[in-house]
Amino acid sequence: MKVEIAALNHTFFTPQPRPALLNLDLHIPSGQFAAIIGPSGCGKSTLLRLIAGLLQPTSGSILLDGKTPAEANAARQVAWLAQSPALLPWLTVEGNIALARKLLATRLNHQMSVQQALQRVGLENAARAYPFTLSGGMQQRLALARLLIQNAGLWLMDEPFAALDEITREQLAAMLLDLWQPAQPTVLWVTHNIYEALRLAERVIVLSPAPGQMVADFSVALPHPRREDTPAFQNLLYEVRTALNQAVEAAA
Amino acid sequence: MKKPQPGGGQIAVLIVLFFLLVWEAAVSLSQIPVYLLPAPSRILQTLFEHPQLYAQASLLTLGEAFAGLLIGLLAGVLIASLLTLMPGLEEGVMTLAILLKSTPLVAIAPLLTIWLGFGILPKIIITALLTFFPVLVNVLSGLQKAENHHLELFHSWHASRGEVFRYLRAPNALPYLFAALKISAPLALIGAVVAEWTGASGGLGRVMWLAYTNLNLPFLFAAIFILAAAGMSLYRLTVWLERRIIFWQSHPEP
Ligand SMILES: Nc1ncnc2c1ncn2[C@@H]1O[C@H](COP(=O)(O)OP(=O)(O)OP(=O)(O)O)[C@@H](O)[C@H]1O
Ligand SMILES: [Mg+2]
Repeated sequence: MKVEIAALNHTFFTPQPRPALLNLDLHIPSGQFAAIIGPSGCGKSTLLRLIAGLLQPTSGSILLDGKTPAEANAARQVAWLAQSPALLPWLTVEGNIALARKLLATRLNHQMSVQQALQRVGLENAARAYPFTLSGGMQQRLALARLLIQNAGLWLMDEPFAALDEITREQLAAMLLDLWQPAQPTVLWVTHNIYEALRLAERVIVLSPAPGQMVADFSVALPHPRREDTPAFQNLLYEVRTALNQAVEAAA
Repeated sequence: MKKPQPGGGQIAVLIVLFFLLVWEAAVSLSQIPVYLLPAPSRILQTLFEHPQLYAQASLLTLGEAFAGLLIGLLAGVLIASLLTLMPGLEEGVMTLAILLKSTPLVAIAPLLTIWLGFGILPKIIITALLTFFPVLVNVLSGLQKAENHHLELFHSWHASRGEVFRYLRAPNALPYLFAALKISAPLALIGAVVAEWTGASGGLGRVMWLAYTNLNLPFLFAAIFILAAAGMSLYRLTVWLERRIIFWQSHPEP
């Protein structure tokens, strides 16, 4: 799914006006895995919420394959995963997946079974367990399986692994890439972690402190699996970090 | 919800026993006359001397309490659900409910007796009115308090209002329903007894009223003992059910 954002502005009234996004232009081609990086409070979550149709922009336009966010949402083409796995505690592992599958049944034609989705994230042996008996990493894997079974054209991910420890986060990032590979939906992935962004994404977009503006846009043309100890990786790392620091200093 | 302390139930029993012993000792040592405060032994003796009378009265009162509680529960859950699905109605209906809640039932009970007679109907109505409000308020807030991350998820699925209700709000409100039950179940007993007090052909409230007008305190206290035991049992039953149904609550939410 193609994402076209033009002259997007969003201001919160709390009640004094607080601009969160300023004049954002962004074009994400279909199937691209794009990471969005920016300082805390710069409007990353706001951007994803606007695309998901959870918020209405103050001005500007968002088109998803030519549809408005509301239309794309009604077509159930946009999947959402945030920092909390948002599992339903009264349902089992398979129950959580089955509910997503059931509520989306009209669109899915049931290509993937619950069991297959669980296998993809290595949870097939925990199908009957309840979410509260799972570790944080397993819970987020379950949320990934639920994301996968929706078979959406666009994945909006707001720091999905931020609450996890380093090792688990790396495992899940690698798993996310595996899950993305076969169908290659468009991914908009918000993260605070520059390493993580460069290891996974094809493109890294840097936003300025609030109100968020695009200050840099890097294309990461490195083959997978990516190694951090290559000069190309280190160069990009340096450039992204510099762009981020400059944006923060300019705003200060 | 905390797991019960090991032996927590036994400690409660011990405290009650200790309290009864102190009561017994105090009455017999200070020679308080029985028309002021009967000793527990005397009260239990009265109870066992009239098993049929107390059994019949208890059955009637508990039946009324139970029927009223059931009606109050159903009405509370239904109206809370309706207000969740049609939020526009909330303000009006809640104003009415609070009006009803603020009306002293002690004043309504005799009126109902005048209109509907000495049968069980006015008792059930009073009990239902009394138990309805905690259920309405608690269940409504449970239905409305679905968590943001869950609501966002259902939004991303483009779930209908009915689907959000059925798969998210309703299960989310179950712990609140039990919180309400813990308040409403003892209230149901009070409601039935107070209603009987204002005029009834039977029941524990009637027994208490007769005992009171005759200053027969052992008779009065025997009925109180039964009510206390019934209240305790109802509460324990609620907690027992809650543990089985809300199994996910003893753990932090994922
Ligand atoms: N519902 C809201 N009402 C008022 N202001 C808000 C609201 N949501 C966000 N904001 C403000 O908008 C700005 C951007 O918030 P946003 O959550 O998008 O930041 P973020 O980039 O996701 O930050 P973080 O990295 O810490 O998650 C912040 O200044 C925030 O205070
Ligand atoms: Mg955020």
